[in-house]
Amino acid sequence: MREAQRVALYYVLPSLVFVLLFSIYPIFESFRLSLYRMILTLPWLGQKFVGWENYRDLLTDPVAMKSLLTTLLFVAVTAPVEVLLGLFMALVLNESFRGRALLRAVVLVPWAIPTVVSSQMWRFIFNDRYGLVNFFLFGDATHLYVAPLAEPYLALIAIMVADVWKTSSFAALIILAGLQTIPDELYEAASIDGATLWQQLRHITLPLLKPALLLALLFRTIDALRVFDLVFVMTQGGPADATNVLQFYGYKKTFAEGMIGYGSTISVVVFFAALLLSLLYIRLLGARVLERPGR
Amino acid sequence: MAITVLVFFVLFSCSFVFAETEIRFVTWKSQFPKVWDEAIRAFEAEHPGLKIVREIGPHSSTEFHDLVTQKLKNRDPEMDVFFMDVIWPAEFAAAGWALPLDRFFPAGEREKFLSAPILADTYRGQIYGVPVFIDAGMLYYRKDLLARYGFSPPRTWPELVAQAKAVLAKAKDPQLTGFSGQFKQYEGLICNMMEYILSNGGSLWDDDGLRGALHRPEAIEAVQFVRDRIIGEISHRGVLAYQEPESLALFAQGRAVFHRNWPYAWEIANDPQRSRVVGKVGMAVLPAFPGGKSVSTLGGWQLGISRFSRKPDLAWKFVSFMTSPEMQKRIALYAGRAPARRALYRDPDVLKKRPEFESQFETFVHAVPRPRTPVYVPLSNVMQRFFSSAIALRDSNIESLARLASRDMDRVLDLLREGVRP
Repeated sequence: MREAQRVALYYVLPSLVFVLLFSIYPIFESFRLSLYRMILTLPWLGQKFVGWENYRDLLTDPVAMKSLLTTLLFVAVTAPVEVLLGLFMALVLNESFRGRALLRAVVLVPWAIPTVVSSQMWRFIFNDRYGLVNFFLFGDATHLYVAPLAEPYLALIAIMVADVWKTSSFAALIILAGLQTIPDELYEAASIDGATLWQQLRHITLPLLKPALLLALLFRTIDALRVFDLVFVMTQGGPADATNVLQFYGYKKTFAEGMIGYGSTISVVVFFAALLLSLLYIRLLGARVLERPGR
Repeated sequence: MAITVLVFFVLFSCSFVFAETEIRFVTWKSQFPKVWDEAIRAFEAEHPGLKIVREIGPHSSTEFHDLVTQKLKNRDPEMDVFFMDVIWPAEFAAAGWALPLDRFFPAGEREKFLSAPILADTYRGQIYGVPVFIDAGMLYYRKDLLARYGFSPPRTWPELVAQAKAVLAKAKDPQLTGFSGQFKQYEGLICNMMEYILSNGGSLWDDDGLRGALHRPEAIEAVQFVRDRIIGEISHRGVLAYQEPESLALFAQGRAVFHRNWPYAWEIANDPQRSRVVGKVGMAVLPAFPGGKSVSTLGGWQLGISRFSRKPDLAWKFVSFMTSPEMQKRIALYAGRAPARRALYRDPDVLKKRPEFESQFETFVHAVPRPRTPVYVPLSNVMQRFFSSAIALRDSNIESLARLASRDMDRVLDLLREGVRP
């Protein structure tokens, strides 16, 4: 037995090293840096240990607090919408019809396009002069054209739309996998008992799909919490800071301003927010996600 | 074993020799790629064995800054030469990223350049960049439209608004707007807003006292003017997402009466391939507020050498070539960029193709630099946030936003007071 364990250890060693090096170490390093004040453009100030000061500053930083709210709003809107759309797509894709394989591939296209490319595309779509959105809404009446990316309230919505478009199909993929594990016999039995389609959806599909739905919601929540590339390409945080999500603010602090300590503090906070939400979801999911659903 | 070592040694030395002949130049996407392509080919033809590898970054100064500083922070030895915006040398010098060029670029040589960009490239007595071209904010206007309705180029901002409104009312063209400038939340917003604030007698911050000055009445008045009279009356709100290319495109399509941009816009506005207003464009100094003096923000780009470059001497050869009188002349002639070398403003070929440079020379000489400081970027971010909030939100309380912005600037500026460089 001990011999077997040792062999097993050798087998997992590479991935263990990988995880330690590329996941655990950076987290600890970020946490360490967040306790220092370190400003790259002022090297003579040195690396000063400041304890929790960065965290206190963050709590009293109105920009950071607004940024947190913006991020939470983004998560609260996009994650549920994406899971709902994903559910709808998955239900369609789970039926058998001609061209299903093709449609399954097509649905995944938005998710397969690199975000930077699709963000650029959405920037054009939302353009105030030649964007498709304006053209569809107002046609030739160019004097009515609006500039979604120039209006503080619309810009965030524009970014949400782009995110929903891009990642709903990812949610669909997870939910589709969940759908496929539901045994057909259950539906057969239900039809024999005279259950309507709605009753089947309500009493068979949704309960058995709960783990997959929660899993999709979990992935989308964590991902939405870390939204960055859409903002970077589409708005750079503007206008009026309305799209300045936490990760973008942290990026600005760390990479543009060279405030390594404060920037790390923001990253750590985002990390813990994601961790907290994950734990919450996993509690909701219970151990069921590990079992085979339907038993 | 010995053979393996030998093979490695040979491979390694080969790649080393090969790498020696490559100079990596990090640059942005130009509006005139042909000029730069030709310049680089000319350099390679003149220096056989040297190859310039170009890495092309984003057009926006803010995004380009993030790319270059990322490489410098990582001490990337691959990057040899890079473009620097006029506001970066102090930061790059203080951080120890840019190589001091004093041994290559002696004082006698510096005198041949305009003094403002040389000053911007100097930090604590050492020089860190060689100016390639300079920029200064200019007012472009539709000569034909102003003439048709009997106007001459405006001298004050309120006059500009009044003229734009009159033209819009009479021209009855739903496509036409009064003014296009750069009002997105990015560095260009600082350049634009600074021209309003300074031409009203205000300032961004007080450089001697190291205190933010956005809350002073002159600044607030100017910002309010932009929100209520420019954005609210003569520009469409799309300008709040515009950088240079978008705002220029609007003007070049004949959809704006007035336009604020750098000197290169002249070339594009008069290029039949890219413009519908060829020959209908006029250029003037920017307006001021009544009682104030016209202010143009100094812009422009320098070439710097990375302190982590393994071949600074070869890199200098390239920098020296790209900033030579011949190259600056070529860039002035074919890219419409205002040369950083003084002598070119008296050069007959340049003046023949660009007669406007003669009258603009004064503007270039008096263009106002943004303050030089290693903490420019954090200050700029505070200001960008304030300006964008103040002009994009119709009912913002500009005074309280300005007080907050000044306070945030003070906190950044305090860092400079705290440590004195040994």
